[in-house]
Amino acid sequence: MSIDHPLMLPIKNIVTESPNIKTFMFDYNFYAEPGQFCMIWIPGVDEKPFGIVKREGQDFMITVAAIGVATKALHQMKTGDKVGFRGPYGSSFTIPARRSSIALVAGGYGIASLGYLAEEARKRDVHVHLFLGARTKKDLLYLEWMKNIGVELHLSTDDGSEGYKGFNVDLFKKYVETNSKFKVQNSKFDMVYTVGPEIMEMKIAEICYAHHIPFEVSIERYMKCGFGLCGQCCVDPVGWRMCVEGPVIDGEKLKQITEFGKYHRTASGKVEKYPWAK
Amino acid sequence: MIDLSVNLAGIKLKNPTILASGIMGVSASSLKFVEENGAGAVTIKSIGPTDRTGHKNPTVLAFDNRMVNAVGLSNPGVDTEVHIVKEAHERLNVPLIVSIFADTIDNFAVVADKLLETHPKIIELNLSCPNTDNEFGKMFALDADDTRKVITLVKKVTQGTDIKIFTKLTPEEEDFAELGKVVEDAGADGITTINTIFSMNIDIYSRKPILSNAYGGISGPAIKPVGIESVYTLYETVSIPIIGMGGILTGEDAIEYIMAGATAVGIGSGVYYRGIDIFQKVTSEIEDFMKKEGYKSIEEMRGIAHNS
Repeated sequence: MSIDHPLMLPIKNIVTESPNIKTFMFDYNFYAEPGQFCMIWIPGVDEKPFGIVKREGQDFMITVAAIGVATKALHQMKTGDKVGFRGPYGSSFTIPARRSSIALVAGGYGIASLGYLAEEARKRDVHVHLFLGARTKKDLLYLEWMKNIGVELHLSTDDGSEGYKGFNVDLFKKYVETNSKFKVQNSKFDMVYTVGPEIMEMKIAEICYAHHIPFEVSIERYMKCGFGLCGQCCVDPVGWRMCVEGPVIDGEKLKQITEFGKYHRTASGKVEKYPWAK
Repeated sequence: MIDLSVNLAGIKLKNPTILASGIMGVSASSLKFVEENGAGAVTIKSIGPTDRTGHKNPTVLAFDNRMVNAVGLSNPGVDTEVHIVKEAHERLNVPLIVSIFADTIDNFAVVADKLLETHPKIIELNLSCPNTDNEFGKMFALDADDTRKVITLVKKVTQGTDIKIFTKLTPEEEDFAELGKVVEDAGADGITTINTIFSMNIDIYSRKPILSNAYGGISGPAIKPVGIESVYTLYETVSIPIIGMGGILTGEDAIEYIMAGATAVGIGSGVYYRGIDIFQKVTSEIEDFMKKEGYKSIEEMRGIAHNS
């Protein structure tokens, strides 16, 4: 069961991850699966969706980049200040089988929901490869956490300040192609999970299709109610709600979502093409 | 053989369940998804003259027995909506109800006129949305004179077509029966009621209204008795068909509305309480009840609460 009107929770702790990214921690335990999201209300400002992150010793946290009015207001808040919580909402990632091998491909803040999945996977002795890409070294989140739980890191930055200089897509592609060429069975991924900018997700999907690797992707659409009523986040042509049937969609179902990588809808419901889409 | 179909102002519905306006109907795809889940007809989210973002979040809240919303009539505007309506007509097998709103009486006619090329079957005039800013002033349906003017003007625009005009009313008008009579006399082909009812929730910790618009409209099980009373009252005064709604979650709820006099029933908040397949569930529950109680058609049950 989800909470569908704001439950006021005091911020227990705030960690500054980078100059414009903070993690907010809460003493509130509830059942949620990796990939699910919540709505956080900043009273008098706005309410926005955030990926739910859980880790050992921490009930629940969200990692927030100060980008818009709401997230900037959230960054101004102090320990003890209250925000409204609703959720958990949406579909979740399939928990990988024991001792399997998986790849998490995260661009930017996409690591938020994948961090929780990485921890759940490591509890099951899963070999977790994380292809984490960001603009610069300081934008690479959760590195300590991921190292501590034994995740194999493949880092990339746009400016080369850490790891491979370029996109994580290229790093991932190279890895997959090398391993498929040499047919190294143990290095083949049983499953790939990707969260990040849609253009990145689209490219990861193409690689996975080409190499017949099952995968799951988290699709972000404009959220209003979060519980399947308003229709704002429905995708073409199937009409699935990204807050109920999504946001996590598997590679087979993704073939039916023709708008993926091409366009999305604004708050008014107007179709807005992505700049890269033909 | 049990007949679940209904005749709504000359339009045949395979079952009496209709997706209410403002729920799901943002795109042709979302309407199609609702059709696939069993709706007898679907209503597109209200179309206005221009692109509107609507209110900031929180816009929709849910509680055990009620929902409160102030989405704020977000829509891309009629010029874009014309294409959405056309796509919906191409893809849907069930009738589409085209809900419209406007900021002025004249603009109702402008929106209706632009939609003519899509050949709508039913245009529903949303005269009773409680979620708009001051720019809209007083709700149209709280003023019998404005209500009459809007209907008359839109009827003029649709003259010579088969388009049926339904009017969405709120029970907040003091003399509801009289308003129904005004609507019928102005030439409306049907009435949809009830809309949501004015309401507010305040968070006592931040000491602020929760909805960004502060005011919202309440819907769901809590308002069902109000809806039943409204339909019952209208059925006594008008002879045009009524789409009854407000808190319908089960087949029993739907039958209560039909017995009060509704020709068909709208489902909105029920999507939250019972899932997107509520249309299938309600229809099969209606059928079960009819089997058990020996009814052969929906028609047999309509308005029978008035016979006692």
